[in-house]
Order: sequence, then structure tokens, then C-alpha cells
Amino acid sequence: MNPLIFTTILMTVLLGTMIVMMSSHWLMIWIGFEMNLLAIIPILMKKYNPRTMEASTKYFLTQATASMLLMMAIIINLMHSGQWTITKVFNPTASIIMTSALAMKLGLTPFHFWVPEVTQGISLTSGLILLTWQKLAPMSILYQISPSINLNILLTMAVLSILVGGWGGLNQTQLRKIMAYSSIAHMGWMTAVLVYNPTLTMLNMLIYIMMTLTMFMLFIHSSSTTMLSLSHTWNKTPLTTTLILITLLSMGGLPPLSGFMPKWMIIQELTKNSSIILPTLMAIMALLNLYFYMRLTYSTSLTMFPSTNNMKMKWQFETKRITLLPPLIVMSSLLLPLTPMLSILD
Amino acid sequence: MMTYIVFILSVIFVVSFVGFSSKPSPIYGGLVLIVSGGVGCGIIMNFGGSFLGLMVFLIYLGGMLVVFGYTTAMATEQYPEVWVSNTTVMGVFLLGLLMEVMLVLYVLKSEEVGVVFKFSGVGDWAIYDTGDSGVFSEEIMGVAALYSYGAWVVIVTGWSLLVGVLVVLEVTRGD
Repeated sequence: MNPLIFTTILMTVLLGTMIVMMSSHWLMIWIGFEMNLLAIIPILMKKYNPRTMEASTKYFLTQATASMLLMMAIIINLMHSGQWTITKVFNPTASIIMTSALAMKLGLTPFHFWVPEVTQGISLTSGLILLTWQKLAPMSILYQISPSINLNILLTMAVLSILVGGWGGLNQTQLRKIMAYSSIAHMGWMTAVLVYNPTLTMLNMLIYIMMTLTMFMLFIHSSSTTMLSLSHTWNKTPLTTTLILITLLSMGGLPPLSGFMPKWMIIQELTKNSSIILPTLMAIMALLNLYFYMRLTYSTSLTMFPSTNNMKMKWQFETKRITLLPPLIVMSSLLLPLTPMLSILD
Repeated sequence: MMTYIVFILSVIFVVSFVGFSSKPSPIYGGLVLIVSGGVGCGIIMNFGGSFLGLMVFLIYLGGMLVVFGYTTAMATEQYPEVWVSNTTVMGVFLLGLLMEVMLVLYVLKSEEVGVVFKFSGVGDWAIYDTGDSGVFSEEIMGVAALYSYGAWVVIVTGWSLLVGVLVVLEVTRGD
């Protein structure tokens, strides 16, 4: 793609999300979502083969449906309250429709079916943008309407998302689908605590974005999109196998690493609000996630499968230089001792 | 009948939307869009917005829909699908018509309709002139406000249209 056009379209994706996050008029928020959707379609379709086109079409259809539902919720809210500002949603029907629309945009169950298929059909860099930047805008709207969200619907969607994200990722060998199911599960964790303490949702979003960025960049660095291809990285850059190990265990939520911090805080906040069964279920279902991360580390860092000598060399083009990788790796594994700093948040 | 003109026009509006949502060939969809555009213009005009209604006719029907009609005529097939040629299309069209007829009967018969919002019968659709809109027409003041207080909206929508052109060109470029 022409670099100037590509820069313009990428800046429009950023502009769309910025407009969503900083507007106080519901119509401008809807315009921001549509601008974001329109501009990300050619980014998803960077290579022109039928898979990317199919993935972009699926993404466009689901997100456009979600935008239509959002518009309907905005209009019902307008009819019942007579004003367009975002403070809270004044009508339960509008609140339910808006929550469903934003859940469709995020990829929460039962609207999660597009996430693995779209993520698998596009290139690694596009998948990176899809799973990190595109989650910011709907989550910011959920944060802003959080006082008026129906708790039953949101918690049902959150728990089902954690279950589907863990269970659905078990049989995958394609790395992009694994990351997609991991995204579904993390969105479930984020929305579970949204009504109780929205600050923890933002904390989880921050740490999730750091870890997902790290994982995707490690995959881009070793140019691998399947588990088999990733298991050959010991041959090319043995150091990245250790880094993959650490980052994956952090994503699974194991204690001395920073991925433990959001899960710990969320479980603490839920138990403070006297719900015990729910965080227990969530923690147990996070084990499913941990299982397929561990399978990935097993084949990548911990074992070298027996293979013939000509299979040992990994063919790829020049190694891409990724500037932000070292700070991201450090941040996605060593942030846990900073947990007492959370007391300065609201 | 004239007091309930908005209600009648809105029924025709919904029926024409059903007509193109049941997916006949795009040429026939465009035909129904002309009808729905004209009816929508009528609805806006009944609320006093003559400028916006004229805008619908000129720009939407006379600009965008004409271009759509020409491009569809270039890309059409030998036997395009009408509503009666395909069982599925006719079934969906009749289903939509049936639901609209049932809704209209529900509105006409009962005193109060409370689906998502309450309105009490057909009388709510009649337009009352409250008379306190002052010297200026509200709708022209809205258009003026778009270019003064709403400058940010103009910038954003203008940028979206530009990026829309770039995106469409990029998507249809192929390799």
C-alpha cells in the first residue's frame, strides 16, 4: 500500500478511537466507532487473498450490527431522557441493548464467534492491532456507563466468556486462534469486575494489552504462526524461547509475574462484595487458559522434539527488528511488586 | 386523513424498507429506495423542515441514488430477481408486510401502545404546532448551528468522507 495512504488510514483508526474516548455526545461516539471500523478494513486486508477478505467481511458485518444496536440504544435513551450526554443510561431497555452492542464489539460470549475466525484470517500485525487497540474504545464506553449496567447480564456474559475462552482454546495449534481465545477470556475477566470497581477493569486492560503486545511481537520476531513453527525458535534465537516461557506464564496469571496482579485484585474485589462462588469459578476456569499456554511453552522452551537434521534449520527472511520488545517483556513480567501503588488510584 | 398523514407516511416508509430488505436485485432495491426517500422527505416536511426535505430529494435521490442506479445498471445480470420470482424473497417480503399490518392494527385498535416507549394511539402521531418556536424556523436554525457550534462535527464528517473514499479505493484495488 502507498505509505502516505497507509499512514492516513492508520491515523484515522487512532482518531476514531480518540473521538470515542473523548466525546460527551452520544452521536459523536457513534461517529467515532464508525470511523474506526471504516478505516481498519483496509488494514485487515493488507494482503489480497480470499482469507483476509473473508475475515474483513466478517469483522465488518459483526461490528456494523453492533453499531446499529448502539444507535438504537442511544435513540431509546434520547426518548426517555431527552438529552444526548453520556452520564448514565436512563432506561433499562436502552442499557441492556447498549451492553449487548458493546459486548458484540468486544467479542464477549455469546457474540464471540467472530474473534477466532477474523484473527486467523489476517496477518500477525493486523491481528495485533485488532486484539489490542480495538478493545480500547468499547471498554471506555462500558466504563462510562458502568453505574447503569444490568449486573445479571454482564456477569453472565463475563463468566461464559471465561469458560469459552478457556475451553475453546484447548484444541488449537494455530497461534493466532490461541491469542483470540485468550482475548475472549481476558475480556471476560475485565467485564466481571466492571460494575464493582471499574478502575480494576482499566488495570486489567492495561496489563492485558502489554502482555498481548509482547506475545504478538515475539511471534512476529520469529515469523511463526503455528505451534510447530514456534517450536523451532530454539534454533534461531534461543533467548526468545525463555522470553516466550515467561510471557506465557504471565498471561496465565502465575504469581511472581505481573499477569497475576489483575486476577488477584479482581478476585479480592469480588470477594469484598460478598460473592464467593463467582470468583472461585472464574479462577478454576482460568486454569483451562493456563493449560494451553503451558502446552505452548512445553513445545517451545522446555523440550526439543526429535527431528531429522534437515528439519532443524528454520527458514525465514531477515529478522525484523522490533524496537519496543525489551521494555514490553520487562513490563509484562516484572510489575507485580508495584501492586501497593494501586492504592493511589481512585 | 390529513391529521394522520405522518402515521400513513411512516407506514409506507416501513413497507418500502421491508421491500428492499427482502433482497431483490439491487435495481429493484434502488426503485424502492426512491419511494422511501420521497416518503421520508414528506415526513420531514410535515414537521416544518422544508429545507431538509428538499436536501433529501436533491442530494440523496438526485445525486447519490442516480449514481447508484447507473453503476447497478452496468453490473446487473440478465434476469434480475424481483420480489415474486424467488420464493425466499417473496416469503420475507410477505412476512415483513404481515408484521407491519399487525402493528398498524394494534396501534389503531388499542388505546395505549407500550412496546419500548408508550404512546397513546394514533393521536400521538398528529403534529401540534406549539407555537413557541419564535420568529425563526427551528430547522434552519439547526442547519446554521451545524456550521457554528457544530464545527467539530463538520470536520469529523468531512474527514470520514475523505477516508471513506481512500478506503474504498484501497479495498477495490486488488493487487
